[in-house]
Amino acid sequence: MNDISRLAPAEKSSITLGFLRLTDSAPLIMAQELGLYERYGLQVQLQREVSWANVRDRVVIGDLDAAQMLAPLPLATSMGIGGMRADMLTGLALSLSGNAITLGEPLSAEIRARTTSTDAAATARALADCLAGGSRQVTLAAAHTFSCHILLLRRWLRAGGIQPQGDVNIIVLPPEQMVDSLSRGVIDGFCVGEPWNSIAVQQGVGSVQATGYQVWNNAPEKVLGVTESWHRLHPGTHLRLRLALMESCAWLADPANREEAARVLSQAHYLDLPLDNLTPSLSGRFTLRKGEPPIDCPHFHVFGRFQAGFPWRSDGEWLLHDMGALLGKSFGPDEIMSQVQRSFRTDLYREAARHLGIASPSQDYKSYDQHDTPWEFEPGIELGADRVLDVPQAQ
Amino acid sequence: MIPESNIACTPAGVQACLRIVSPPTSASRPVTVILVDDDRDRASLVEARLGEVGFEVLSVIPTAAGLLYQVAQREPDVVIIALDSPDRDVLESLSVTSAHNPRPVVMFSEAGDERFINDAIRAGVTAYQAEDISPARVRVAIDIAMAQFSAFSSLREELDDTRRQLAGRKLVEKAKGLLMAAHGVSEERAFATMRKLAMDKSRSLEETARDVIAILDGAELSGEDT
Repeated sequence: MNDISRLAPAEKSSITLGFLRLTDSAPLIMAQELGLYERYGLQVQLQREVSWANVRDRVVIGDLDAAQMLAPLPLATSMGIGGMRADMLTGLALSLSGNAITLGEPLSAEIRARTTSTDAAATARALADCLAGGSRQVTLAAAHTFSCHILLLRRWLRAGGIQPQGDVNIIVLPPEQMVDSLSRGVIDGFCVGEPWNSIAVQQGVGSVQATGYQVWNNAPEKVLGVTESWHRLHPGTHLRLRLALMESCAWLADPANREEAARVLSQAHYLDLPLDNLTPSLSGRFTLRKGEPPIDCPHFHVFGRFQAGFPWRSDGEWLLHDMGALLGKSFGPDEIMSQVQRSFRTDLYREAARHLGIASPSQDYKSYDQHDTPWEFEPGIELGADRVLDVPQAQ
Repeated sequence: MIPESNIACTPAGVQACLRIVSPPTSASRPVTVILVDDDRDRASLVEARLGEVGFEVLSVIPTAAGLLYQVAQREPDVVIIALDSPDRDVLESLSVTSAHNPRPVVMFSEAGDERFINDAIRAGVTAYQAEDISPARVRVAIDIAMAQFSAFSSLREELDDTRRQLAGRKLVEKAKGLLMAAHGVSEERAFATMRKLAMDKSRSLEETARDVIAILDGAELSGEDT
């Protein structure tokens, strides 16, 4: 059971963690507020960063000990396929889902004229109708090249019969510039994490056409990223950090705690945003369009349930495969498998789970697109629904 | 919808733009640079110094919003961008989308040694370079940017120091005025009193001024105690 005195000492007890202004930075922030880092003998300074490139570079040079990262980032950095190259790994995922695809009001109105459905495939097909003829230039933004956002956006487009490369333009923009760019008509839509979709909805400049959950149920989203060398030098600190964050994620799994989390996150030194921006996704009562009643999205963010912390190697392989497709190069299956084994450290997750006395999956790989509802992977291991939006075969 | 020109280089567009490979750099042609920094004063320092040693600064822009367009139009050999610019992810997307074309833009880290990269990042400088240019020539540009960034932060610290000193002097003046009014003494006498107070309690003059203000201002507020 959880006996902290049995843990190896921390090699370094005062550490700095990086996060971005996103709702799913909640695990890092709540661990601070709940005193969980202290419980594990760590003094943590949380450092707000402005770009993923910054997060990556500061972790690589050691300015940051660890950081919240997009799930593909440790893989991309290890492969050297964007900016700086360094061996990176994660031993703990921090959240599942949490994104949405929002289109500006002009385009959203055209989609509403074609379908009243909120089904993600239906809205994608309606968008395809709007684009038919090929004379329109539509620009969509995602927050990073190596992100689930781009993968989700591309999948949603293809589900509607739209070619992501050719029929539309996809660009990268910082999350904080999304809503402003949408309202000025610089872009026509975006796929981004919360609270930026809810802010667009609340300002009446855009409507959500698909939640990330609709495109890929319980998709991997953020992970705790460190360099391989940092982990080797600080295995004790790393374990304590993962334990504190796992407790934070478990706390966040209780819907009763989400309101408090939203209040804390809204503070000036964290996200510095009004509470109203943060509650829709955290409460799971999500509004798709200004003036409409919210709909139930209980799994909009998943922090603690469904083995959310487990860094599935099958997730890693999926991400790396899709990134290869995005880059127009195909990584070989052996290359993908060995990189993922090195970067997605299921053994580190199990080490922490054993200490907390909680069960963890005995397998590193799982199936996809098989379950509409939560299901039992192994005795005592419940996983969430895993549907992925269908892409017509002609694609 | 027609996007604004500053963002017209969407990935499809970027690829088209980037297919134009910059010509091989000859030793005689100056290395061309685009500088991205939202701190205009600092950017001017870097621009001037780069110009002095023979780099050609094509443009200085505050954010990467116009960068994709600029890169396509001007084909710089190097892009130097402030580390804390939120637009670095945008810039990196450019080097990635061009990956299956000739790659004019890669991060300088691939060419540099680790220590150098760490120093650059700590100084707040990152850079991206065309593939066909020698890392040694790029390194000079980065060195200059680092030196100017560091010089600028020293300047800023000096300015902050001066501001603090000024604020301290104002506090002392105020405390002196309060002492003169409260005790009906001359300026020299009030100042001497404060100096003695400071020495007795081994506190700085500024701290003593703060104490005096707290006591005398507080007394004024609470009424007839004086």
